[in-house]
Amino acid sequence: MIRVEGLVKRFGAVLAVDGVDFVAHDGKVTGLLGPNGAGKTTTLRMLYALMRPDRGRILVDDVDAVLDPGEARARLGVLPDVSGLYPRLTARETIHYFGELQGLDARTIEARTEALLDELDLRTVADRRTAGFSHGERTKVALARALVHSPRNVLLDEPTNGLDVMSTRALREMVRRMRDDGRSVILSSHVMQEVSALCDSIVVISRGKVVAQGSPDELRELTGEADLEQAFVDLAVNPGEVRA
Amino acid sequence: MRPGTLRGALVVFRKEWRDALRDRRSLVSVGLGSLVGPVLVVGMLHAVADWQREVEAMRLPIAGRENAAALVAWLDQQEGIEVVDAPSDPERAIRDRDEDLVVVIPPDYGEQFVASKPAKLRLLSDGARSSARPKVERVRGMLARYGAEIGSLRLIARGVSPQVAMPLEVDDVELSSAQERAASILGFVPLFVMLAAFTGGMQIATDATAGERERGSLEALLVTPASRASIAAGKWLAATALSASSVVLTALLCAVALGALPLAQLGMRFRFDASDLALLLCAALPLCPLAASIELYLSTFARSFKEAQTYMGLLLLVPMLPGVLSLVRPFSAEAWMYPLPFVGHHALLNAALGGQAPSILGLLVSAAASLVLSALLVAQAARLLTRESIVFGR
Repeated sequence: MIRVEGLVKRFGAVLAVDGVDFVAHDGKVTGLLGPNGAGKTTTLRMLYALMRPDRGRILVDDVDAVLDPGEARARLGVLPDVSGLYPRLTARETIHYFGELQGLDARTIEARTEALLDELDLRTVADRRTAGFSHGERTKVALARALVHSPRNVLLDEPTNGLDVMSTRALREMVRRMRDDGRSVILSSHVMQEVSALCDSIVVISRGKVVAQGSPDELRELTGEADLEQAFVDLAVNPGEVRA
Repeated sequence: MRPGTLRGALVVFRKEWRDALRDRRSLVSVGLGSLVGPVLVVGMLHAVADWQREVEAMRLPIAGRENAAALVAWLDQQEGIEVVDAPSDPERAIRDRDEDLVVVIPPDYGEQFVASKPAKLRLLSDGARSSARPKVERVRGMLARYGAEIGSLRLIARGVSPQVAMPLEVDDVELSSAQERAASILGFVPLFVMLAAFTGGMQIATDATAGERERGSLEALLVTPASRASIAAGKWLAATALSASSVVLTALLCAVALGALPLAQLGMRFRFDASDLALLLCAALPLCPLAASIELYLSTFARSFKEAQTYMGLLLLVPMLPGVLSLVRPFSAEAWMYPLPFVGHHALLNAALGGQAPSILGLLVSAAASLVLSALLVAQAARLLTRESIVFGR
């Protein structure tokens, strides 16, 4: 479970995140929805403790991510906004390396690597260097290295960006499986369909503020729009905060 | 579970090492960095040896040899001298570089000689041509010796001991300039060994820091629970290992090359055996962690891969400073130098190469100072990795 309270982050004169609160429960997929530049990536970077909030509190399974970033990171699996790979390592070696960085023992790494190669359909390219991989293959390897330690909390920053239909479908499958396993999954997106198809709970962020949160049905009800996309546009443009 | 710092560092080290061995650029920088020095030293020593041989067996062009048959016959008997006729225009031959020197014997030589007056000779050469200098000096020496012999004979003929006319007796133990030159070329060896310490780790240090950020894999690495210290230390260890490989390779190649060269022919008593090699490595290897830590810190700090490479280029000048300084004004090792980076290493390397055993204390002090300094730099690099401006770019 991830709990975020009163998160504020300022870059010089720009207030990038301005008092964001939400809770991502176990066994639920929570979507951070907002237009480009709304503060989604900055919020996630504070969650995985590579950025320090100016104010506010982040709890990852009761660990304070600001006070003990290392311990918080150990409970997280993260697919960052920019997910480059090591071009001279194979997919298998990459997953293995991250298993070691997570402090797993050799047998667990071996078992998890095999499982992830199957789950993400990477077996045919497992022993090829990642230099020549397609965008979809790269994203899958980045996802595998994020999940090698079976984290209880998973943060995915725009995971389906640039993926084709087949890869997107595989990724959704994977997210649902993690939710059914009882994990807490947070994913950010600027695409309404993406979020509505996957998320149990949606946090709409605009200009650094939470402008609405609730289930897809609650959001529709809130704005009086049957079309979720129209509801999103209304919320993102309308500065007044509404809560279900 | 979070890996401990040491275990984490080893994990990062193994990955970076494997990555570097698959990187053609890093292998090329180790290979070329280690080859350049020995090849240059061998080439320069060969040039000096050729030049020395030329002085030992030289042609001596003389204009007007019929004017002084006895002198010419005496010169021709000297070892390695072959008297030949000078070209018709000696001055022009020298200006055109056809000859290095010409001795001109004027027609009145015999007259003056018989009258026991100083007989004039002209020794033509171009003072600006340093390659001709040893030949000119050799000829001048021979002429002086001939003159002294004749002078002694004349004194004896007049019943005076030649010793009266020799108020000084100079024992000539001058080193020939060929030896000097060969010795100064050997002075380049410490320089090349120090350069190898820097070139060896350079590529991997930039690739693992500035390169990692540019490829976008740094964020994923930093969201693992591995500590910043272990990540920085692992990358530093890998750069150190490559730097050390480069130093060992350079030292070995230099040793092989020096063993194969005809140094004795240059009048140099130079010996470089396994124990000297071991001393050289003892003096040079502690420089590797230091060079790697400087490279790691600078490339972590750099805004981009390009900027990191610029820093690396400038950094190469640093190990050359004491070397260049010592070529201009040679200095010998003194105790206060040992803890200083580069200066201390250079002093120890020179001592090791000169066949004197550098003091054990000096080696220990230098190694300890290098390690402390590199630990500080690695710690600073780890701190940089906690800065948002470094992780996400500026």
